[in-house]
Amino acid sequence: MPGTNGALRQFTRRTALTALGAGIVGATAASWPRLTGTDIPGRGDNSLSIAIMGTAADAAARQKVIDAFAKVHPEIKVKVQAIQAVDWKDFFTKILTMVAAGTPPDVVYVATEGAQLFAEKLAHPLDEYLRRDAEHMKEYFEDVHPSLVEAFMYKGSLFQLPIDWNAANMYYNTASLRQAGLDRPADDWTHMDFRSTLAAMKKAKPQDFTPYYWTNRLFGGVVPWLYANDTSFLKETKSTGGEWLWDGFYAKDPSRSLRSGGYQWLEPNADDPRVFESFDYLRGLVKDGLGVRPEEGGGSALIGLFASNRIGTTPAGGYWVQGLHEAGMTEDGFDVQFFPKWRTQRHQFGTAGYAIMKTAKDKDAAWEWVKFSSSLEAMRIVFPTPNTTPARRSMVNEQLYAGTGPRNWKVFYETLDKFPTTGPIPAPPQQAAVETALMKNVSLAVSGDERQLKQALESMQRDLELALRRQP
Amino acid sequence: MSTATSTPTGTGKQPGGRQASHKHSQASKRGRVQQRWLPWAFLAPTIVGMGIFTLLPIVASVALAFFRWDIISAPTFVGFDNFAEVVQDPTVRVSFLNTIVFVIVAVALQLGLALGLAIMVQEKLPAWLRVFFRSAFFFPLILSAASVSIFMRYLFNEQFGVVNWLLSLVGVPAVPWLTTPGGSAAVVILVYVWQNFGFSFLLFVGGLASIPVETYEAASIDGATGWRKHFYVTLPLLSPTTLVASVMAIINALQVFDQPYVLTRGGPGDSTRTAVMVIFESAFQRLEFGQASAIGVILTLIIMAITAAQFRLSKRFVFYQ
Repeated sequence: MPGTNGALRQFTRRTALTALGAGIVGATAASWPRLTGTDIPGRGDNSLSIAIMGTAADAAARQKVIDAFAKVHPEIKVKVQAIQAVDWKDFFTKILTMVAAGTPPDVVYVATEGAQLFAEKLAHPLDEYLRRDAEHMKEYFEDVHPSLVEAFMYKGSLFQLPIDWNAANMYYNTASLRQAGLDRPADDWTHMDFRSTLAAMKKAKPQDFTPYYWTNRLFGGVVPWLYANDTSFLKETKSTGGEWLWDGFYAKDPSRSLRSGGYQWLEPNADDPRVFESFDYLRGLVKDGLGVRPEEGGGSALIGLFASNRIGTTPAGGYWVQGLHEAGMTEDGFDVQFFPKWRTQRHQFGTAGYAIMKTAKDKDAAWEWVKFSSSLEAMRIVFPTPNTTPARRSMVNEQLYAGTGPRNWKVFYETLDKFPTTGPIPAPPQQAAVETALMKNVSLAVSGDERQLKQALESMQRDLELALRRQP
Repeated sequence: MSTATSTPTGTGKQPGGRQASHKHSQASKRGRVQQRWLPWAFLAPTIVGMGIFTLLPIVASVALAFFRWDIISAPTFVGFDNFAEVVQDPTVRVSFLNTIVFVIVAVALQLGLALGLAIMVQEKLPAWLRVFFRSAFFFPLILSAASVSIFMRYLFNEQFGVVNWLLSLVGVPAVPWLTTPGGSAAVVILVYVWQNFGFSFLLFVGGLASIPVETYEAASIDGATGWRKHFYVTLPLLSPTTLVASVMAIINALQVFDQPYVLTRGGPGDSTRTAVMVIFESAFQRLEFGQASAIGVILTLIIMAITAAQFRLSKRFVFYQ
């Protein structure tokens, strides 16, 4: 029936086109909040938007803190936005993109890696708020080591309150240590003691076992060795100022005289003979099969390998404890010690806390969130397990490590108490370029002969000069 | 067509003639308008999309190459400074050199492997196995390059990787795949070729299928056998396919990023740093968007020059039936 077919054909085409058009309009309408970005937490309303690095599950886990905050400040609506990123560098890039798009969050959780970048360009100083609420904040500063606070000082102003932190301590596998016929290392073990320990471990367990495993990155890579050897790949200086904070909150602290207006890394230092010496020591470990050539990346596979007794030692922070526990390690299976001593026993640490953005809609509300997040109540909610080291000394206790270990959990906070010069990761505002310059030359420096080491350090010096050529 | 079926007009004497004529002229005018504008109406969404998402970013990127901009502060005009800095930067120079070496080795391997396997699969295997291998070889291409590279990192780990474990079974000592310049470059090329040769393979399979059987029969009658048949019949008649496959392979290889970035982060040293990786690092890690754009412009010009040269040279070696 031609008529029917024609009608059917016409009907079908028209219907299809209409349906397609309606579908496009419908889909566009349904996706409008996504297309315009109004579904992003805090966008389009007066909520305080908080950006953290993590997954949607991490954002959901913050809900208990948000609920607790709402009880104290029912007038401030808070929305947490979790941003997934490979590392802090990646996270900061995403925040910067949001800034460029004109949709920055009000508050951002920033680690040492980005502290000076934010302080220089994006964050609002906390000085006035701290002066105003000095009485309330006294309790917080009494509980937090000044080294952590100093890491967030920049040109005399404080930009963040440390919430959690981690030092590069040395984890060791207790079974492998026993097998090598060794006891727990002494607190003041030296880099040569460490080498002997590795050699003994290798001798006792030569097959399918790596005595020292380290990764090529800023935290826990070569930097702790440089610090222990009283040097760094950047010249470390300190800026003036900050007396208002130190005299106000740490006047009686024994390390008061050490405190400053913040760290400065203005010049490269890769040509320092001690840098060569430190790299050469690591090159020796690699050459003798006591340590691995460090790979690029975060070392995410490490926990599983350590838990299966295939790694003897590795530098890591308190964040490793929960991971090892979940990987099946008992509290007797591993332990932790200070980083080995060389010319000093200065450690490296990284810390993190909330920064209020210059562009925050309501800075007073943002400060209330920052203040509440640093309270004991909030921090107890956020850190129920040892998946990091809380900045408050009172929280790093027997109870936090019960059932997970390590036996010598006191090492974590004592790293600051016993070694008050322990310092933050070298992270100037140009941190991303600096980190790239470091990482790209480390593998070459420790993987070849002495000539290759010299070339790699020369290359590092040149790359760092380029990275630091534009000072803020 | 409306003009063929409409009433003849012009007398104005027939009842309704003027009206009919008017209607006809309106219809034909509408037809002409439709003929002229309808294609543009259908093309409009694509043109607008291309304009907004392709052309505009290209123009913006070229313009940005003359500015210094870190996202946060306002851009400042710096003329050709970005190009001058880029040209003097040893890392950029090494990355371009790496990219060229990578393109030469990876494309040669990719096309060689794809062609060899295509001939083998087309000629030696039964139909059902052909289908299996076509799917199997194409499969890596649909996987995310980043996920594949993460997986390969584990496989090629010096201490705990499966590859070294397999080698140890035959007495080969552990190879530092990802921590030495030679090893990491080899792994990056290997992973890239494994993941990408499937596309060229499919092109060659299609090209082989289009060669008439009679041509081979004629060659056989003339005494050509085995390799001679492939050399004098298959390769010349596959040359149009080879041209397309090589142009696409070279353009893709010049833009390699995922595999070296995830596997080695460009290291050790700069041994696996590629041009696109330097663009990414300049823009999103160092916040030097002007420099990143300048590198992008240079890379685009190189790609255009190589592609143009390929098409020009193709006149000498591409044969059409």
